[in-house]
Amino acid sequence: MHIDSTGFVYLGVVAAAYAALGIKAPKKVRGAAGAGMKQLGSILPTFVAVFGLVGLFEVFVPPALIERWLGSSSGVGSLFVGAAVGSVAAGPPPAAFPIAATLLEGGAWPPAIAAFIVSWVLVGVASLPFEARTFGWRFAVLRNGLSFVVAMLVGLGVGLFL
Amino acid sequence: MTRLLELLKKESLAVAVLALYGWAFSVSPARAMRALGAAASTLGEVALIIFSVFLALGLFGAFVDKQAIGRRLGEGSGFRALLLAAGFGTILVGPVYAVFPLLKAFREHGARPAVIVTVITAWAVKLPMIPLEMRFLGWRFSVIRILLTLVASVVLGLVMEPLLSWRLPATRRRLQADSVTEGAEG
Repeated sequence: MHIDSTGFVYLGVVAAAYAALGIKAPKKVRGAAGAGMKQLGSILPTFVAVFGLVGLFEVFVPPALIERWLGSSSGVGSLFVGAAVGSVAAGPPPAAFPIAATLLEGGAWPPAIAAFIVSWVLVGVASLPFEARTFGWRFAVLRNGLSFVVAMLVGLGVGLFL
Repeated sequence: MTRLLELLKKESLAVAVLALYGWAFSVSPARAMRALGAAASTLGEVALIIFSVFLALGLFGAFVDKQAIGRRLGEGSGFRALLLAAGFGTILVGPVYAVFPLLKAFREHGARPAVIVTVITAWAVKLPMIPLEMRFLGWRFSVIRILLTLVASVVLGLVMEPLLSWRLPATRRRLQADSVTEGAEG
């Protein structure tokens, strides 16, 4: 196991931000750290579970299966599958990335994976009733429907520029 | 008993994954151990990034003055308001259950519907999590996805607005009544 430099660099940046803001508002900064850690604590079981799932994926899901549903040969079909899986999945946003990486390694088409990530955060089948209660059904259905299309378009764009 | 059920419901993913591991160990202990090892090593590699992500989330939550931005979003009406909305969505953090009511309040303070849609869409950028995304998917993938999401956020706002305002006459009358009250308050 190796810890790569990204973590250290990011921790350094965040620590610097804390120090800079802490000079002016030490109380607020302490509150921020507390809130962040509290959030991390509440999400931790889900996180560990997601990584457990990623491990199972790597070992038990045959690449042929990923290839078939999310591979480049299925084209638009795999874009749709990626966006659909992302829409139904209701997990914390940062959990999308390890899952996406495993799928990519298993032979998934990058545009389909980009669609998966965008729809993971933008389209929420599970939160649809709440969104409808807040903004009305028309807003909720339109926004989620169009976001599904946006997820696929962003996916295609990623394929174009990558 | 109810508390146990609540816990099971809240951690349903963890319960499901535990059950899957139970199945995996019964099928093939060797492969299950490999899966567990892969899980632990991936988690270990990114633990520091995840820790930093949540520290950053706390900072964003505490220092982004949501109310002040809400007022500015309400004032602007042109294309610049949409750019501001895209920027705000990028630095906005929080769960759906906190963000949607906040945006509803912005709407009630006079922000255009397009602004609300743009903020929600740009919220998908998840700025504090970008290092995590780059670690897993590479910086090129991440940068392209983010730029396209930002472009999409403005376009989606502009596309949604006419679709939203196209309403049944009865609803339109109700909304007009609402906006009159808002004007009186402001």
